[in-house]
Amino acid sequence: MRFIDFATYCRQLEGMSGRLEMIDLIRRILPGLDDDDLPVFVRFVMGRIFPDWSPLKIGIGPNLLFDAVTGIVDGTRDDIIHDINMTGDVGTAFENILSSKKSSAYSRRSTQAATVQTPLTGFLGQDAEENSAVSPVMTLTEVERDLHRIATAQGKASQEMKLDIIRSLLSRSKPLEGRYIARLLLEDLRIGVGEGNMKSAIARAFEVDASLVEHANQAINDLGEVALIAKKGEPALREVRIRPFHPVKMMLAQQGTISGTIEENGMVAAEFKYDGSRFQFHKSGGECRMYSRKLEEVTGSLPDILEMLDTAVDHDVILDGEVIAIKNGRPMPFQAVLRRFRRKHKVNSMKEEVRMVPHVFDILYLDGETLIDLPLSERRGRLDSVITAYRAPQTVSDDPSVIETIYNDALSAGHEGIMLKVVSSPYTPGIRGKNWIKIKPAVDTLDLAVVGAEWGEGKRAHLFGSFLLACRNEEGELILLSKVATGFSDDQLAEIYALLKDRVISQSGKEVKFEPFLVVEAGYSEIQKSPNYKGGYALRFPRFVRIRDDKGIDDIETIDGILERYQRQSA
Amino acid sequence: MMLKATIDADILKESIDAISALVTECRLHTDETGISTRAVDTANVAMISFHLKKEAFESFSSTKSELGLDIAKIKNIFGMMGKENLLALELPDEGHKLKVSFEGYQYSITLLDPNTIRKDPNIPNINLPGKVVLSGSELNNAIKAAAVVSDKIALGIDPATQTFYMVAEGDTDHIRREFGKTEVNFINGAEARSLFSLDYLKDMGKVMSRAEEVELSLGIDHPANFSFYLAGGNGHVEYLLAPRIEAD
Repeated sequence: MRFIDFATYCRQLEGMSGRLEMIDLIRRILPGLDDDDLPVFVRFVMGRIFPDWSPLKIGIGPNLLFDAVTGIVDGTRDDIIHDINMTGDVGTAFENILSSKKSSAYSRRSTQAATVQTPLTGFLGQDAEENSAVSPVMTLTEVERDLHRIATAQGKASQEMKLDIIRSLLSRSKPLEGRYIARLLLEDLRIGVGEGNMKSAIARAFEVDASLVEHANQAINDLGEVALIAKKGEPALREVRIRPFHPVKMMLAQQGTISGTIEENGMVAAEFKYDGSRFQFHKSGGECRMYSRKLEEVTGSLPDILEMLDTAVDHDVILDGEVIAIKNGRPMPFQAVLRRFRRKHKVNSMKEEVRMVPHVFDILYLDGETLIDLPLSERRGRLDSVITAYRAPQTVSDDPSVIETIYNDALSAGHEGIMLKVVSSPYTPGIRGKNWIKIKPAVDTLDLAVVGAEWGEGKRAHLFGSFLLACRNEEGELILLSKVATGFSDDQLAEIYALLKDRVISQSGKEVKFEPFLVVEAGYSEIQKSPNYKGGYALRFPRFVRIRDDKGIDDIETIDGILERYQRQSA
Repeated sequence: MMLKATIDADILKESIDAISALVTECRLHTDETGISTRAVDTANVAMISFHLKKEAFESFSSTKSELGLDIAKIKNIFGMMGKENLLALELPDEGHKLKVSFEGYQYSITLLDPNTIRKDPNIPNINLPGKVVLSGSELNNAIKAAAVVSDKIALGIDPATQTFYMVAEGDTDHIRREFGKTEVNFINGAEARSLFSLDYLKDMGKVMSRAEEVELSLGIDHPANFSFYLAGGNGHVEYLLAPRIEAD
């Protein structure tokens, strides 16, 4: 598939408002794609470059993109950032910039005539068009290959090499292609095709059962490959198994109450809810790896945990659990664990400060067999048969008073609360369903995305001082909710600055906007109705609690959740 | 054996530098007469045609074949070689690993699948009427001087005064260097003037600075062709660089 065709489809999708209309277009495109294009198309349309299980990250911030485009057109970075401010979107700005290569819009602030780099193509004679090395036609797989090279570039010259590849992509792009190349590089296509729509489109395109598509995706965590398998038909989809070292999305929990959960389900399995970091441990053929909640590989940052689990298990397994930090027999706050997850260097010195303990509570794979479809009670049986140490204690009961006691024990031992799990439920990767319920004391904090900031003043003049926070709606659009300016230590402000400084996409006066990726937890005293914010609600006395870099933008609070909290507090 | 050769380390290094100035990977063609490659940089702005005759080697035997070279990696490996040492290259039939031995080191370098590398471009056929020959180090010095004030440089020939000139204009500064008949050999003093990116010329200039003579062909808003020899005349490099033109 030519990349221009992909870009044209994207533009069509972008112009559609209805979900069904979008699914219908994708459904009609998919069957016509060959085996090389199909998985790439599926991932790209969702704004993803690599399979979800892959540890590869493109790691391109807007800054690098600005550098790249500054290299191909005349005009300064400020001109380009100005353009992005005008359009509010990097993709559209790049499209304009690439079309202005011809109209010299960029000469406006330069004293010299603007010049553009011509390609050699035009000078190589009549047969240049069919000369593939200098052919200006980019294909989908070529673009994918270039993005792969960006993600795997290493070493001291890697930044320069990434820049070269981006420049090369952009200089070959037609304006419309530039729009989607820029957005792909930032991994947000802004056309509104999410996983749900894509699953429906795949099921309909290849006339297979949607639940099989869902299940295959839960097991291999890559809709691109799922599409390829779906193309072969339902029997092939049924054959899909979990694979070691392809991390599976983690099953998530909803908030609930003890009495409500027992009333609805009868017997439930209760476990402590640990305030640590979720992990997934893979062991196969003597090799062990670990992944974080965001499925990033953290093998190197937790050598002690890896060793403990490696010694404790003598099978090929995938285990689900939580690492907690212990100091003097008490669990330490979550922050201490995160420091270890993030700290890739100085691992040994950190090892001395706090003791880390894994608590394993689920098993997804055992010696070649995929276990996610078994009920929890059977999975627990398998877990007990392969590992005795580090198992999270579990009590099965339908007596609310027994569960209450466990809940109180958990809190007095310094844990966050308890988890109640439906004993007959399968493991549903990536799903926040009713089969896992978390019970914890009501805390008024929200996980929100940082989308903007204002420069600080005084001794904080070189840092961002206050931040704009957003929640999201069902479609994944970000909705401004609050500004937060208190609760930060100087160290935290410095850390946040370091995380965000390369994510600035526009600046005007003291205000900057970010490419959204950082999630923070914010506290508040009350949710208020507010005409000042688009969502209609605002936080009263917002304060910063902590960085949640174990969470991604998809994990932030929804506007529906805000509404629910608002109604609960006024009830 | 697909390829078996020994070569002076300095010649090999010079050859790799010439290629790596433009590309990070290439298809290398070998046959009984020597090795060659033709490649375009990722942005389609510059092309290198490179040929090293078997006479440049101490010993050389090869069958006709095509290898995929990761030039960036090879450049790093050879970065540690001393000069004036002999280096042995060996590639067995159907082999995917190039064996390189020098100074007691034995390297086994995994080759790339040539099919994953962009195809060789066609031989360009461009009419560039202005032709001058000048010293490679003079050319490189002028490029370096221009890079201080600007990111692009104009190269041209004025037939009336029989001068070859280079001009670079920055936002505030300006630099001009003229070469008269005593410094440059005019093969064809036809009028020419084109503008080029110094990003490319800087890397190419470093390589050309080692050449005693560079033959430069120019047109009006046309590519520039830089042609020069290395390895005592047994190696030949041509760089073709597309111009920048004024946006209309």
